[in-house]
Amino acid sequence: MSTVSMLNTSSHKRKMLSEKFLVYLVGGIIGAFLLIFMLLPVVNILRLSMTQYSTEAHDFLGKFTFGNFVNYFSKPVMIQSLYHSLWIAVWSMIITTVLAFMFAYGLTRTTIRWKKALYYIAMVPLVAPSLLQAMALISLFGSNGLLTQLLHLKWNIYGANGIIISEVLYCFPHAMVILFTALSAVDSRLDEAAASLGASGFTTFFKITIPTTKYGIFSAAALVFNLAITDFGNPIIIGRGYHVLSTEIYLQVIGMQRFDLGTTIAVILLVPSLIAFMLNYYFTKKSNSMISSLAKPEIPPSRPLKKAGFTAFSWTIAFILVSIIGVIVFKSFIKVWMYNWHFTGTHYQFKIPGGIGVLWTSFWISLFVAVFGSLFTMLNGYVIEKKKPFFAQPLYLLSVVPAAIPGLVMGLGYILIFNTKFLNLDNIFYGRAAIVIVNVIVTNFTLGTLSSISNMKNIDNSMEEAATSLGAGVVRSFIRVIFPLNKVSFTSNLIYYFMRSMVTISAVIFLVSPDVHLASIAVINLEKDGLEGASAAMATLIIAVVFVTIGILAIFSRNKKIGKPAAAEE
Amino acid sequence: MKRKLVLAALVAALILLPFAVFANGSKESSSKGPSGDVVVYTALEEDETADYLAVAKKELPNLNIKWVRYSTGELAAKIIAEKNNPQADVIWGTAVTAVAGMKDLLQPYKPAGWDKIPKQFKDPDGYWTAIDMFVAAFCVNTDVLKKKGLDMPTSWADLTKPEYKGEVIMPNPGSSGTGYLQVASILLWKGIKNGSNEGWDFLQKLHKNVVEYTNSGSAPAKIASKGEIAVGASFGYRVAKQKASGYPVALVFPAEGSGYELESDAMLKNAKHPAAAKAFLDWAITKHAMEGYSKYKLMVTLPGIESKSEIPLPPAKDVKLFPMDFNWAAKNKIAVVDKWTSLFQDKTKPE
Repeated sequence: MSTVSMLNTSSHKRKMLSEKFLVYLVGGIIGAFLLIFMLLPVVNILRLSMTQYSTEAHDFLGKFTFGNFVNYFSKPVMIQSLYHSLWIAVWSMIITTVLAFMFAYGLTRTTIRWKKALYYIAMVPLVAPSLLQAMALISLFGSNGLLTQLLHLKWNIYGANGIIISEVLYCFPHAMVILFTALSAVDSRLDEAAASLGASGFTTFFKITIPTTKYGIFSAAALVFNLAITDFGNPIIIGRGYHVLSTEIYLQVIGMQRFDLGTTIAVILLVPSLIAFMLNYYFTKKSNSMISSLAKPEIPPSRPLKKAGFTAFSWTIAFILVSIIGVIVFKSFIKVWMYNWHFTGTHYQFKIPGGIGVLWTSFWISLFVAVFGSLFTMLNGYVIEKKKPFFAQPLYLLSVVPAAIPGLVMGLGYILIFNTKFLNLDNIFYGRAAIVIVNVIVTNFTLGTLSSISNMKNIDNSMEEAATSLGAGVVRSFIRVIFPLNKVSFTSNLIYYFMRSMVTISAVIFLVSPDVHLASIAVINLEKDGLEGASAAMATLIIAVVFVTIGILAIFSRNKKIGKPAAAEE
Repeated sequence: MKRKLVLAALVAALILLPFAVFANGSKESSSKGPSGDVVVYTALEEDETADYLAVAKKELPNLNIKWVRYSTGELAAKIIAEKNNPQADVIWGTAVTAVAGMKDLLQPYKPAGWDKIPKQFKDPDGYWTAIDMFVAAFCVNTDVLKKKGLDMPTSWADLTKPEYKGEVIMPNPGSSGTGYLQVASILLWKGIKNGSNEGWDFLQKLHKNVVEYTNSGSAPAKIASKGEIAVGASFGYRVAKQKASGYPVALVFPAEGSGYELESDAMLKNAKHPAAAKAFLDWAITKHAMEGYSKYKLMVTLPGIESKSEIPLPPAKDVKLFPMDFNWAAKNKIAVVDKWTSLFQDKTKPE
């Protein structure tokens, strides 16, 4: 009897030990992954920005200097790009937040119809590369745009205004999701109570609705600021000489081969984007603490005028968002935009390296990104939230930093460090598909991890305990209990990663190589080469692939929540 | 216990899978034969490159040509970023002023048939060999001219006239080979070699009319074609191409003489596939290759091959060329671009 129990305890101990080992192993691998592929390239950029560079020797000379920063801040031409970036980001932030708030308010606090349709339409910009907005705006409102000519408009879409409008269109879904969550989380009976106490609609709105959702508003605003200041695709297309930090990095590195100035500007861009991210993060936490678990009462019928107003507003926004994509799809079938309106399919015959195969490359790379990205972030959330090893805090910190790092900076960091003899990664990694896959997983790591953590929080510990006491090991209980309970968040992470990977430009523009040609980069290259029809055609195909893939996933998992981006789960 | 280990191994395998897959993939392709792969970076346009390579694949059946196309500046940046571990074996058709500035990263090689190329089109030590020439030209949108009541500009001097204010787009000489040849030709034309500053004054005047300096040399032609602006300073083939695809544009060679630039090949130092690289560079100046280029170019460097462009380019002899000095242009590139940047890069808003 005693031998049996002794055997039991020793096997139990061994089991505990092996489980602990497994958690350490998984957490350790993820931590090492982030250290190597996120922190190291960024720290290296920081180091290089303070290293002397010789344009004759084409190399960093290894001497420490602040010269690059002095150089940047002493040239008015250079410092201008910082002002420009801030200007763009602030205006995009204000406009997007206001519009997205009104839209989300309409969806959550009024009784307008077709809410689900409106919600999904608002998500549509997520399926397109971030230069599509600028391309569409030029086709419509450029000096020789369709609407400019039809309506004899005199205004100029290029420069700051064009960038801001593009960014608003691009950032809208991101802000909308956060505000939608904030507005639906706060108990709307507060509004009702105020109204029944005689407060006017405006008083209620400003004294109750806004204050109760303020953290959601701040969090959305900070996110938009971050997205707008780091975006590259839209400013490069529609900026027309209006240099912002991200285009300046590209111009310095690619145009002038000035790696010193490129890394310096990258560091300067890192500062506002890091601050915006930290604010977003802080407010998101605050906002989540406001979430009320009270039952959501029925919304009382909105007054006819209010209902009509919000219906008109929402559908106008929805119409604009769909038109932006519609214009590009339409353009891809037009022979010569503005000059020859015959329909043609010739733009779909791509004369580019890789040909139509770039779409296939993008597709399978995105599949890898989606599977490994959502798997990694789920395991990560599990280790951090449920297993809490001693390194849970540092791992958590490492996991949330990527959102603060602009894709362009990360891409630059990658080419500067992974083509050295370092770790001998140059032969198996640099110039191959793996570098793109890892880069996209890392740049989008934050949202995935956060959504996974918040999901883990909702899973009662007793579930796993029950499984363990019934004899299931950590692996088994993860597969049988945790994973099934995480299916929804796993699938939405899958979709989120897949979409990001198909459309991202800034992160991977430095990483394409003879072996890896990507569809989103083809869009920007074709546009730069003046083949705007072909560029629109490639963008159309990307959108089609994303829609079809999401559709297939939705059919397979038969889940209504599918299509909601990961952010909606927060 | 065993199952757990198996599972742990599975998780680890899953995590390492992407590396393993791609590592294997690369080994396989390079083990096909020592001269199998050749990695080519080119600044030639993508559509023309596809045509040339169709010929190359027939004549070099054992080579697996991997290529990627960058703008002149992008290509240089890539070569520099990768210099400690070059990914490319060969540079094919990029601006000679860009190549000449990075001889320290190149391996001299005189391809078979090198002797047939006239000496002004090659480096005496074999660092680079030019294959063709491209020529500065304006892309003028006739539709916009009509709407705005402007005359057809025929010279650089015309473009400085006040009526073209806000109607000119040029490439940035730092990032674009075309941009640099335009600026260099203007400076040389105004006698910078004799110490004259008139060239910079002229650029200053031109600057007043320019709304944007683009990253690439083809962008101005494209923007003008779309009717977004009246005049884009670009290069001949691009303009002719836009015209052929149905845009209402005119191809104008500036009356002062067109600046021109050579597109040249070079071999990278420490290339991973030297034998294949040499085979490719040999092919790149053969008669057949040159005949391919001649379908797109105003002039190729192998004597005796006339331009057979399928799109309406004027015969080379009818284009007034400005006598370029490539040695000067290559040697002074950094200085000129630096000065240009400090003077003109603040062109941020269309006025």
